[in-house]
Amino acid sequence: MSKVIPLFFLFMFYGQQPTEEKIIARQGRVSFFSYTSVENIKAENNQVLSIIDLSTHDIAVSMLMNAFIFEKALMREHFNESYIESDIYPKATFEGKILDFDPSQEGEQTRMVKGTFSMHGVSKELEIKIKIENIQGTYIVSGTFEAYVKDYSIKIPPLLAGNIAKTISVDFRFEYQPYES
Amino acid sequence: MKAKKIILYLICVCAANTMVGQDLLGILDKEHQDTPQYTQATFKFTRIAFGHSIETRKKGILDVFVANRFWNTPADRAQSFAADRLSTRIALEYGISDRLSMGFGGTTYDGLFDGYLKYKLIRQRSDGGGSPFSVTLFQGSSYFSEGVVPPTIQDDFSNRLSFTTQLLIGKKISPNFSLQIAPSFIHRGLEYSPEDPQSHFAIGFGGRYKLGNHVSVVSEYYYTANPIESFDTYGPFALGVNWEIGDVMLQFMLTNAVRMVEDSFITQTRHNFNFRNPNLNFGFNMTYVLHFKRHLKNK
Repeated sequence: MSKVIPLFFLFMFYGQQPTEEKIIARQGRVSFFSYTSVENIKAENNQVLSIIDLSTHDIAVSMLMNAFIFEKALMREHFNESYIESDIYPKATFEGKILDFDPSQEGEQTRMVKGTFSMHGVSKELEIKIKIENIQGTYIVSGTFEAYVKDYSIKIPPLLAGNIAKTISVDFRFEYQPYES
Repeated sequence: MKAKKIILYLICVCAANTMVGQDLLGILDKEHQDTPQYTQATFKFTRIAFGHSIETRKKGILDVFVANRFWNTPADRAQSFAADRLSTRIALEYGISDRLSMGFGGTTYDGLFDGYLKYKLIRQRSDGGGSPFSVTLFQGSSYFSEGVVPPTIQDDFSNRLSFTTQLLIGKKISPNFSLQIAPSFIHRGLEYSPEDPQSHFAIGFGGRYKLGNHVSVVSEYYYTANPIESFDTYGPFALGVNWEIGDVMLQFMLTNAVRMVEDSFITQTRHNFNFRNPNLNFGFNMTYVLHFKRHLKNK
């Protein structure tokens, strides 16, 4: 009897986490657009990392700012050097939770993600609507949100104020695979 | 005894659970480490002030580069209201690949036509690994197109060519501060006097300090180890401000170097840096950047 009780506890604790399972996206795509009458700016990052813990519904995203590719090579340099200051703030990250997420549900589900988005040294609480597709255990997460340039203390010189939109629309799409550490 | 055992098991199990459930961003941080990070924009321009920086233009970028120097002749001969003399170099500079650039230009004042090739050999890495500095090779040549008056000078095409080879070594020390050292070898074609060496060794020092996100202060100086003997020369020095506004880049500088081609300003700057005419030059360079390669064309 004295040996059964601890064993019982052991199974109970492990039994609580049968889906200690994480999925990761290593080539997630994040793109952003700035539309103004003067100039349209578009950039894309195809190496965004994202990970979801299917048991806790936690999600994290991390991207390197200097991996954004712009239409014009010089824009990339300006973006990193003069606006986002990627020497000082190399990454943008998001950490949050998918609300009411049911990993076992096949097909499409639209859910809200609530979490903290950090960029250029500024953290913002965000709520983003995402679409989750579950095709036989392969998850694809996609969505769009708007970011206000002002919120992230990015300085735009008055001369160029007309070239950069005040709200930047951000698109993202992640395809997940099982994560093995 | 039993209770102790149970507690021990509980602790073990809990510890195991927390170790598995480490934070997700931490996992992603580890994944990031595989990609090498190269330092960007050690200098924003392909020049620091008058001399070349380690930067090369990215593939498919054409720079339309106009450099001007304004200066006054000594007071008793001064004529104009703004500036007595003006020299302009107009050049086209093109990025063949992300590492290789070339350029051609012509200068009005000293009648030099020049061309160069520049190759970025080593790129500084900012993630701790790799090289701690960047190295760029520069090879330039110039053709002296003006008439040569003294009949003693042997004058043919090959004698009118001069060559400059530079090893540009630059380091972005902090996000705001970059330094460059440039050991240089210059071969001058025309021999004005037999006492002058035709091959010169020189070393250049340059730096940039960012005042804001778009404005930086730059300074540059070249020292020649074996200068021309038949007339006085001084090391070219410049103090300037670089300002970039989107596709336009402006440079403003005070300098004693009138000339704008490497072999000529390093070895043949005839005035010292001070405020007496015609020593002080005001330099104004403008670069307009044209992109011929669209990186997102397929989208």
